[in-house]
Amino acid sequence: MDDQESYRDYLKRIYDPGRLFDKPEPLEGIRVLEVGYVHLGPAACEFLAQFGAEVIKFEGRKGDLMRFVTPYAFYYKNMSPGLEIENRNKYWVGMHLGEPGARAIFLDLVKKSDVVVDNLTPGRTAEWGISYRELREINPRIIQLHVSGYGSWGPWAKRNSYDAAAQSMGGLSAITGFEERGPIKSGSWIADWITALMCAIAVTAALNYRERTGEGQFIDYLQVENVIRWLDWTWLYTWKTGENRVRSGNRDLAVCPSDLFRCADGWVAIAAFSKPEFRGLCKAMERLPLYDRFASPRDRLKDENARELLGAISAWAASRTVDEVEDLGRFHGFAASRVLEAGDVYHGEHFRERSTVQEHIDPLYGPMVQHCCPPALSGTPGRIKWSSRPLGFDNRHVLSGILGMSEEAVKNLEHEGVIFQWNPDIPSHCPPPDWDGESGLRFP
Amino acid sequence: MTEKKTSGMTENADYSEWAFRETNPADVFEKPEALDDLLVLDAGRGSFAGLYASSLLAELGAEVIRVEPPEGDPARRMSPYGMMIRGTGLGYIVEGRNKFHITLDLDRDEGRRLFAGLARKADVVIETFKPGHMDSIGLGYRQLSAVNPGIVCCSIHTCGQFGREAERNRNQPDYDIVDQARGLVMSVTGESELDADVPETFKRPLKQGNWMGWYAGGAWAVFGILLALLHRRRAGVGQLVDCSPPEGLGAMANYAIPFYHLTGRLMPRAGNYDYAVFPYTYVKCKDGYAFISGSADPNWTALCEIIERPDLISRFPSIRERLDPPNQPVIRREIEAFTTRHTTDELLEMVTAYRNRPDRKGVVVTGRLETPRDVLRGEHWAARNTFVKTDDPHYGEVLVQNSTFKSMSRTPGRIKWVCRPVGADNAFIYERHLGLSEKELEGLRAGGVI
Repeated sequence: MDDQESYRDYLKRIYDPGRLFDKPEPLEGIRVLEVGYVHLGPAACEFLAQFGAEVIKFEGRKGDLMRFVTPYAFYYKNMSPGLEIENRNKYWVGMHLGEPGARAIFLDLVKKSDVVVDNLTPGRTAEWGISYRELREINPRIIQLHVSGYGSWGPWAKRNSYDAAAQSMGGLSAITGFEERGPIKSGSWIADWITALMCAIAVTAALNYRERTGEGQFIDYLQVENVIRWLDWTWLYTWKTGENRVRSGNRDLAVCPSDLFRCADGWVAIAAFSKPEFRGLCKAMERLPLYDRFASPRDRLKDENARELLGAISAWAASRTVDEVEDLGRFHGFAASRVLEAGDVYHGEHFRERSTVQEHIDPLYGPMVQHCCPPALSGTPGRIKWSSRPLGFDNRHVLSGILGMSEEAVKNLEHEGVIFQWNPDIPSHCPPPDWDGESGLRFP
Repeated sequence: MTEKKTSGMTENADYSEWAFRETNPADVFEKPEALDDLLVLDAGRGSFAGLYASSLLAELGAEVIRVEPPEGDPARRMSPYGMMIRGTGLGYIVEGRNKFHITLDLDRDEGRRLFAGLARKADVVIETFKPGHMDSIGLGYRQLSAVNPGIVCCSIHTCGQFGREAERNRNQPDYDIVDQARGLVMSVTGESELDADVPETFKRPLKQGNWMGWYAGGAWAVFGILLALLHRRRAGVGQLVDCSPPEGLGAMANYAIPFYHLTGRLMPRAGNYDYAVFPYTYVKCKDGYAFISGSADPNWTALCEIIERPDLISRFPSIRERLDPPNQPVIRREIEAFTTRHTTDELLEMVTAYRNRPDRKGVVVTGRLETPRDVLRGEHWAARNTFVKTDDPHYGEVLVQNSTFKSMSRTPGRIKWVCRPVGADNAFIYERHLGLSEKELEGLRAGGVI
């Protein structure tokens, strides 16, 4: 270690984006079978795939629902952006696990795999003879995670769930929105994403345990319960006071000041809780008497004080520009930030330097720019290698390359309809119209 | 409504009974823990990202030592309306679970020496100071790893540790609101910009109601830490985990980045509409709000049949019509013309009955928009031990949300205790890990180090 090296240069060196693909992947050698559809199960598997797991995804003949979920019905070279965002770095097999003939192939793969993830209706895998009970008989090291709205047992286990249903059933929607208005759902499928992340964490914890003991396990994960878990002080507050937590717009009811303010040219988020931070803000506002009046962070949290103080900041911010307020925050040590939009992140050098936004040249779709999974790992960083794929695109790679099937056996399975590929009449199943018939294919 | 239709086990009772036996809440404390071979130091300060991260590790069995300054972590004072229970705020009590609480003054050499001593034995260090602070006091990853090469250090801060924004903003603190503001999701959350009925003043970005920026930061940090630990178990070396919470949300902002890349366009704020999947919205009912979906063609048909409006099928025949922004308020109003005549329970009953019809055309999903009070009464959550109520020796009667890892069959997550007062575990931890005697501790106390 060079003692003279600055922290900045040290980090530049250990995080050099040019070396991204030279570094090992933490889940190298971990094979994951994804019995997932729509968004939640697939997103959990993609998080694993970005850190090196080999994820094999099974898809039914009609195609994943997300092939038909896309903003304004916009497709790019037949690809649905709604499908792409939770399905990168995967291998695609067209095979319905409920069909006769599929089970034996699936179980052969389970023998050579580490993790199976499903987000089907609970119990469906049992009907098909591929629940954890069967899997552990042939591979005791297997880790099987099932995720659904309400889990595998309990009074509501029969209910279906979707992201927005989970946001509403878990209480998130009730506390999101403006005081004077109704509840608002998130602009992203947030209940799916956060649950997918927690599923990836549960699997990685189980992999750590297996590394020590050799033992696999079954994990039942509940999406709506996960939303509940993330609602910080909501439950203790409601239980103690008997009152619902109210919607408070952008105001943080537990940190003051912390809110979003309108500037002359846009929006700025400001927060300053500790004494020096709040003093810095009052100085920036040239209102030091405000500091004397509201010096105690706890007093500021009282509703009437908070409203008065936020009103004063609001009046001040209105005549400033976002740039000015951000600069004052940097100088005086309080938090101040504009609201970033997709274009800001896409064009931001910061995110490229950190490999947060990565570009890859996809063999099917050309140059693609993606938001990668954080966090930045200095030794084993995540990376995006390829985009989503047409239905059944990797059938041969998986059956011949991993299971060692002969070309004849694969052809038989195709003939029997056990495995299949895209339906040429459904564009979003298909490769790009100008596909050369070869690019992107992996041979065994 | 009749309970039979929506309660009970899944359609496969045998599977449910098996799953119940594997994950029975009554057995949790009989089972081993996934991470009970790990020692974690959490030196976070005023950040629920750090606290949530160490909570998850503690739920999974790691020995987590919270290192607070002698006056306590400022996060203890972040509480709704300033409400405290014996000097500690509600948020902190929720995320104090299973952690040992010690104090240590990192501004003094003696405090730094103690921290370095603990870090020599630790597997993980979590910190949330301004970028570079720990490095500047000799406790950053490069110094700690020189002594303990297996250590995994996790730094959590708004713009991360490096990159031009991290340098420009290195004097700024990390708060949930700025994490959300920089996390893309907020830019697309809020009342619909394209709905003429929404007053202009509400057409502004909206944060998620909870500390979503902080919790997302904490969860991504834990994912990184567990990946680094798995790598260490194989390769023997640790690494630095640099976690920027806004990047955690940015990775969850749907197709914001690829859509911009492919079209040069931004997604607008859609409120309760959705321009990729619709109907997929909240509708008014007789007794509140409910979620309802029916987007893909078969599911749209099913929805129209349930609300007895077959005419809508041909009026909005494909997703092209249904995803067209001006059509969405119209469709919502047509659905509400039906749902406002029924309660949320009646709606659920109709949807469930439709699902069991042999001639069903597709799947419709509905769910009541529950208030916190509704959720606390949910029978499913009672059965699944979603909440833990306890009479804590220090904080008294409290209720907190349980670990969501509690249904791992082999190594379930759990809550052993809820929270501890500032410095409550000083004697135990300093003796256990550094062999300090009561006399030495007395000296440190007198000197204000702990």
